[in-house]
Amino acid sequence: MYKVLTVKDLESGYGSMQVLWKPSLQVKEGTITSLLGPNGVGKSTLLVTVFGSIEPWNGRIYFGDQDVTNLPSHKKVEMGLALAPEGKHLFPKMSVYENLSMGAYRKKALAHKEESLKLVYTLFPRLKERKNQMAGSMSGGEQQMLTIGRALMTKPRLIMLDEPSQGLAPKLVGEVFETIKKMKEEIGLTILLVEQNASASLDAADYVYIMHEGLIKAEGKPEEIKGSPEIREAYLGM
Amino acid sequence: MKKKLIKFYPLIPVFTVYILLFFIGKNVPGMWQLVAMLLFYCALGQAFNIFLGMTGYVDFGYVAFMGVGTYGMALAITRLASIEELGIGIIVAGFALALLMSTLLSLAVGAVALRLRGAYFAIATIGVNEGLRFLIEGARIWNGSEGLIFVSDINNILGRDTADALMTFWADVMVLVIAALAAVVTLYYMRSKIGYALTALREDEDAAKVMGINVTKYKIIAFITSSCFAGLIGAASWALKTPYVFPPEVFEIQYTIEAIIIVLLGGAGTLLGPVAGGLIYGISKYYLAVYVPGFQLLIFAPIIIVIITLFPEGILGMLKNRFQNTGLAHFII
Repeated sequence: MYKVLTVKDLESGYGSMQVLWKPSLQVKEGTITSLLGPNGVGKSTLLVTVFGSIEPWNGRIYFGDQDVTNLPSHKKVEMGLALAPEGKHLFPKMSVYENLSMGAYRKKALAHKEESLKLVYTLFPRLKERKNQMAGSMSGGEQQMLTIGRALMTKPRLIMLDEPSQGLAPKLVGEVFETIKKMKEEIGLTILLVEQNASASLDAADYVYIMHEGLIKAEGKPEEIKGSPEIREAYLGM
Repeated sequence: MKKKLIKFYPLIPVFTVYILLFFIGKNVPGMWQLVAMLLFYCALGQAFNIFLGMTGYVDFGYVAFMGVGTYGMALAITRLASIEELGIGIIVAGFALALLMSTLLSLAVGAVALRLRGAYFAIATIGVNEGLRFLIEGARIWNGSEGLIFVSDINNILGRDTADALMTFWADVMVLVIAALAAVVTLYYMRSKIGYALTALREDEDAAKVMGINVTKYKIIAFITSSCFAGLIGAASWALKTPYVFPPEVFEIQYTIEAIIIVLLGGAGTLLGPVAGGLIYGISKYYLAVYVPGFQLLIFAPIIIVIITLFPEGILGMLKNRFQNTGLAHFII
């Protein structure tokens, strides 16, 4: 299968502190690939390094066949890479619709704005109901939907979701994961999912990487991970 | 057609204020000095707003661009004074050099400092201002701390009468034109993709990146635009009004602080805000200095605190909320 994203021996960090110690991973087209691990092991750092918010020190990042290691973020967005960042980063004083419109900022995305908007409203009917409400006044779950929705407005091929279930009520967690599955099955999006919620993402994912202390400790199909008591106990605490 | 014109409505109050100021200054005896000062502060606010207001970055070295612009004008006049046939063209050359020098400086500073965020950016820019001043003084560039004095040059080239008219009247008119130009550019940015990008990055730089906005590019656009206007203001208001330039005077951090106050007082990121801020600041400063000399800052500080507490989004933020759904809303942004 075609690989949308390939990360090879990536190293990066903040200041002089190294966080990533050469993890490598691949994301295949039309799949949900999940990156699992506890707090502070570098999952989010991996995403922001791939996205280009922080510069990689070493290693390579390929988007499709193209080497994008040192490309700035806005170029990657143009190529079809989207990030729904942790902690939402919405514009609280703008309406839902305006936030979504901002997602279609790039020319290419703007050309498909109506189409993308329809898609987002189908995936998240709640956003359509609330399209004139201010983003900051919505519940945590709705804001999470809006973050994902806004990332979808960039018309991505690969969307990276950073802890979409963080801080949500258990019932909503289920809903978010259902939507993520829908994004894959109905739209054919490729998804890289970073999560702490091991059980929910093991159910949703096609392939799983376990990250620990800045590198990949284990990988495999969800059944294999579930079937290995050592991995579950050592890294997932379940 | 109407829809097209409505885009320019916000310029009406801005231009009205400038035209009123001009006529008051010209027709009421003894008022020109105050009007000139108000025009200077409005222009300063309008120019600084393009960067501070629209990006949310605080540049503590802003006055450096005015200083460099002043030097641009001064250098053009002193170096080209021997070419007599240049006439008034020497002023044009001065503005061109001021523009060039402030652009080059803002490119150099922006390329380095704009990689920093928040407080780190502010601190780095303080260094620019002080560093430049000590460089000019220490390395004796452009006559070092002795400065450039070019009263006689201007008098020689333009003739005494024209030179006098330039220094006492036309220089201020040029400041007015610069302020008006800055307002037009501000509105143009606000209504274009640049404005959306700047608003997005001001509210949340990470979110802006996620949407595929080239944040560095837009920060640099705003920074250079704003710095260019500062250079022009320096050239017109400082070099032409007082035909000499000394490093400690043109790299005085006080002007940066004043610019910040004006922008925040009036409403950062708005079009009319810097005008309101400039008027309030200028008038208070002028009359406080007349009636309570020596105590003006002591009295002015609480006034600022009160205004900022009552209207955290500046005067314009308050007006915008008040007139939100009325016909006036088109004029106030």
